[in-house]
Amino acid sequence: MGIFSDDRANELRALFFESAAEILQAINEDALRLEKSPRDPDLVRDLRRNVHTLKGDSAACGYKELSEAAHAVEDVMTPEVAERSGEALAGLVLTAADLFDSLLTSFRDGLQPPSTQELRRLIAALQSPQGETKFAPAFHWSERERMLIATIANGQPVYNIALAVDPACPMPSAAAQLVRNTLHEAGTIAAMHPEADVTPPPTLIEVALASDKDVKWLERRAKIPTVVAQVYIERMNLEAVAEPLVSRDVAHSVENGVAKDVAPVAETAQTSAPVLPSATKAAAAQPEVYLPFAPQEIGAAVAERAAVERPRTKEDRVVATENVLRVETERVDKVLDLVGEMIIAKSMMQELMHDMLATLGKGHGALRARGGDILTLQSQIMNKLQRAVMKIRMVPVEQMFRRLPRVARDTAKATGREVNVIIEGGNTDLDKSILDALAEPMLHLLRNAVDHGIESPEQRKMSGKPVEGTIRLNAYHQGNQVVIEIGDDGSGIDLGRVVNKAVSRGIITADQARRMSENDALDLIFTAGLSTSDQVTEISGRGIGMDVVKSVMDRLKGTISVRSVPGQGTTFHLKVPLTLAIIKALLFRVSERLYAVPLGNVLEILRAQEGDLHSVEGQEVLKIREEVVPLIRLSRMHGVSQPQAKLFVVVVSLGDRKCGLVVDRLVGEQELVIKALDETMIASEMVSGASILGDGRVVLVLSISDVVEKLGRGRLHVSGVEASL
Amino acid sequence: MPKLQQIVGFRVGRENFGVPIGIVHEIVPLMDITAVPDSPDYIEGVINLRGKIIPIVDLRKRFGETVVPTRRNRIVVSELNGHLVGLVVDAANEVLKIDPEQIEPPPSVMEQGELNYVSGVAKMGNQLVIMIDLSKIMQRGELRRLSDFAEATGALGAAQSLQSE
Repeated sequence: MGIFSDDRANELRALFFESAAEILQAINEDALRLEKSPRDPDLVRDLRRNVHTLKGDSAACGYKELSEAAHAVEDVMTPEVAERSGEALAGLVLTAADLFDSLLTSFRDGLQPPSTQELRRLIAALQSPQGETKFAPAFHWSERERMLIATIANGQPVYNIALAVDPACPMPSAAAQLVRNTLHEAGTIAAMHPEADVTPPPTLIEVALASDKDVKWLERRAKIPTVVAQVYIERMNLEAVAEPLVSRDVAHSVENGVAKDVAPVAETAQTSAPVLPSATKAAAAQPEVYLPFAPQEIGAAVAERAAVERPRTKEDRVVATENVLRVETERVDKVLDLVGEMIIAKSMMQELMHDMLATLGKGHGALRARGGDILTLQSQIMNKLQRAVMKIRMVPVEQMFRRLPRVARDTAKATGREVNVIIEGGNTDLDKSILDALAEPMLHLLRNAVDHGIESPEQRKMSGKPVEGTIRLNAYHQGNQVVIEIGDDGSGIDLGRVVNKAVSRGIITADQARRMSENDALDLIFTAGLSTSDQVTEISGRGIGMDVVKSVMDRLKGTISVRSVPGQGTTFHLKVPLTLAIIKALLFRVSERLYAVPLGNVLEILRAQEGDLHSVEGQEVLKIREEVVPLIRLSRMHGVSQPQAKLFVVVVSLGDRKCGLVVDRLVGEQELVIKALDETMIASEMVSGASILGDGRVVLVLSISDVVEKLGRGRLHVSGVEASL
Repeated sequence: MPKLQQIVGFRVGRENFGVPIGIVHEIVPLMDITAVPDSPDYIEGVINLRGKIIPIVDLRKRFGETVVPTRRNRIVVSELNGHLVGLVVDAANEVLKIDPEQIEPPPSVMEQGELNYVSGVAKMGNQLVIMIDLSKIMQRGELRRLSDFAEATGALGAAQSLQSE
């Protein structure tokens, strides 16, 4: 680096790390796609180009280990290798991406770079695939097996299929069972070596399969990612029956398939087809799918895959990589701060104008009109300015979403699940600081969904679901808020187990458990120390996490709710404000003190009299239309609780529950520039921030969930379990 | 001529206190304080200091004095670990110049417990100025006045001269 001054070199390095992170992200994404379509030459070319760029950049910065490793990877990134073993290549690239990442980290922090030995070994293995030549299965079927094969064939073609178990397979002992399950879909297994469950786990599995699928189809099916490394298929010569070679023509095969719609396979089709007519339709639209065979599974799987691959057009990629201007968030925040101050000044101005006009008395119509016009103009400009600055802080949710498929894949591999991630609404904009804060909870929810939500392939098959689980990520605007959803099509949350755990851990009493509504019971998963997974795994299940997710959401003034249908899946809805800096708020007085709550949480405001309130087992409630809403007297914040003849009830939403805040007087609705309270000194959980009004008064913004938590002494139940109040 | 240390002196009840001038940002007249529910008991609330919201500790309450509002009440805005905090005092006197030699470290009995906020005691003529450690003020638990302590023990020279005042 001698040619550059130190400053310049540092600047270059900073730039390098930034662009390298982007390249790595792109490599990760492409590798995941390559895993799905291992022979796509475009993907290989894309990957090669990115690795090449990384190589060049790192060499320019003097990071030799990285540039050499990248060089080695680049060498192996050829369409030929992809054609031969595309999935292994995808795996290699993912491993490489991880290594590159740790290399980058070590360069940045000045640590000893990790060894690239393992990567080189993998590359060498890919370049000279010894397994390929050695892979010559013999297929020794016994006399009895031959008879079985002949009987089961019943006119169908029979294939000898040999499968080499992937040495990296996370569960080699389950490999045989997985293969059996997968091939069972494709036809009738006449014989299999080994039968199942042998120790040590087999490295080679041989199957005789009666099926009227073509070789290509079978090969695709049999090549279970991460389980099967290589597939060999040959058609068995049954008593030397002279049949034409298997046609690879899809239309012809379909014809064949339908014509030979006989024997055990037809039964499957008949029983399954009427269950899911829509799925069958989807399957019919896919020319490659064979109708007589369990159509709902294949159809759904194909349709889903098509759904993922469609939205990623070339334009998306261009937008994602094009960075017009990089600005430190700090600078933007400074501008936003100033805009905030100006909004305060604006309301001061409005008050001054109001007072001046009041002093002037009647008349002066022209002056009043001019004053009004100027104020209106000023507010319009202020609003535009504010929106423009906030827009700078906004980033598409995609920035966070795009990191998730890789995590899902790794988690799925580690837990023996098969998962497909579908992303929607990635272009929904959200304040960068909020998005950053959401990254960790989302990672947690995602790992949970894969680990606890999605069932094992065997279980899924038993319950008639596609082997591959689906995780859906979605984001959309809803008023002044952004909703982020993460859902799985797994087993759903076992409410009974959640409640039992909560009771056994002493979180709730058995009595409370009996009275709990379904939603309240579901919300228990957000309680500290509750995990329903039977085993503690490396990935999740230590009983921490959900409460952390909840606390992050509270900090962001957001809410989280969960919906779960047993057997169909679980979906989390995370609602966050568009921005934390400026909110629309409802101002009110409690014991003569001024408070505010975010208007986004307010559902309705009601007038009430003391007589309207009822007490159900110690919990004050108000009947609103047909609904019973628990109440919280905010005056209890000050330790007083004096009955008043007239009061107001501000009904707020808390996730998907409602709660009524009893206040003395409403002040109005106002846009507030939120300033954080000094956490080191004040640390009030009930107050999430403060704002300054036009007249200089300070208004405190309440954190609804914490207020409810503290003043409601824990959970609020309409059924009333707060006898201790 | 030893280098004189500058100290902002203020009065709470009958005692004089001081903090180094370096940590004092400004002294402002007492203004409306907004109470913050659910905050530590030593926090009186927050004020709006020209657009900044800063926490307030009422030293009068902190030292158990009866609060008598006068026109001389002030808020001493000081800095603690990079954070601003306002101290409500009965009156802020002046900037004192004290020879560091004249500031005695607190007797070791004060290092623990309710008097640990005392970081030193300075003699100014026949007056005593109690130097306070802000971080100890911003802690839970009660604080005791030095004079109470002195009355109770009568053992400290510094406290005795305070009594004779």
